[in-house]
Amino acid sequence: MIFFRGPFKLNHMVQYPPSLDRAFSALSDPTRRGILVRLGRGDASITDLAGQFDMTLTGMKKHVHVLEHAGLVTTQKVGRVRSARLGPRRLQDESEWIEMYQRMLNDRLNRLEEFLERTRGEE
Amino acid sequence: MATITTPAEREIRIERVFDAARDRVWKAFTDPALVAQWWGRGNKLVVERMEVERGGHWRFVEHSAEGVHGFEGRYREVTPPERIVHTFEWDGLPGYVVINDTTFEDLGDGRTKIVTTSLFYASEERDGMLASGMEEGLNQSYAALDRLLANTR
Repeated sequence: MIFFRGPFKLNHMVQYPPSLDRAFSALSDPTRRGILVRLGRGDASITDLAGQFDMTLTGMKKHVHVLEHAGLVTTQKVGRVRSARLGPRRLQDESEWIEMYQRMLNDRLNRLEEFLERTRGEE
Repeated sequence: MATITTPAEREIRIERVFDAARDRVWKAFTDPALVAQWWGRGNKLVVERMEVERGGHWRFVEHSAEGVHGFEGRYREVTPPERIVHTFEWDGLPGYVVINDTTFEDLGDGRTKIVTTSLFYASEERDGMLASGMEEGLNQSYAALDRLLANTR
């Protein structure tokens, strides 16, 4: 939801989707980045992923869960096999990073504005 | 008021006017005790390093409910109270260095205008760190936000 205080002012009333922090968390781990690269080449079962990244099934499930929470991976159980594929959110390498950066910067400047208002007269 | 222009694909420029004297705004950017109160976007911020001088190193770590996010860089230029140029890198995408140039202008009426220009390096090759070979698709909420921000110029 996005609200305006005035016709042209974009301020702390703007609520950014919470997924920016989730995306940061999802991408901050090299194994998870590797999982995304692997799934870019095709779907895989969680068991296969665990084998390819040389970790326990439990460990891999945790990584996949973080990616799923960020919307970057979807899993589905077919029979007894749970498999993973990319999506629904997609990453476009640099342009996605640029957009994340821009949102982050705007969020920070909103917070700076609030901070300056809050501390006015405290010099 | 936020003004966003994209003069080149690799650069974004954001302007803001704050109802505060320039010295206060400068301090908010350069005093670690003050930075910790807004830079974290609502998350707890740990200022691990902050050497505000040419060549100085900065490193901030945000602690959110979703995890820990570290950012760091070096200062290229520090000209009080009017300009800071620094690099910006996020732990999650090492090597994706952004050069951030922020100028502080005293508008003469107690307000300060800051202009921040962020320059990204656009590589020719397809990036292999994130999933290469993926289909392109633009998240609708990002597109909506872009349109919204463009319309509030």
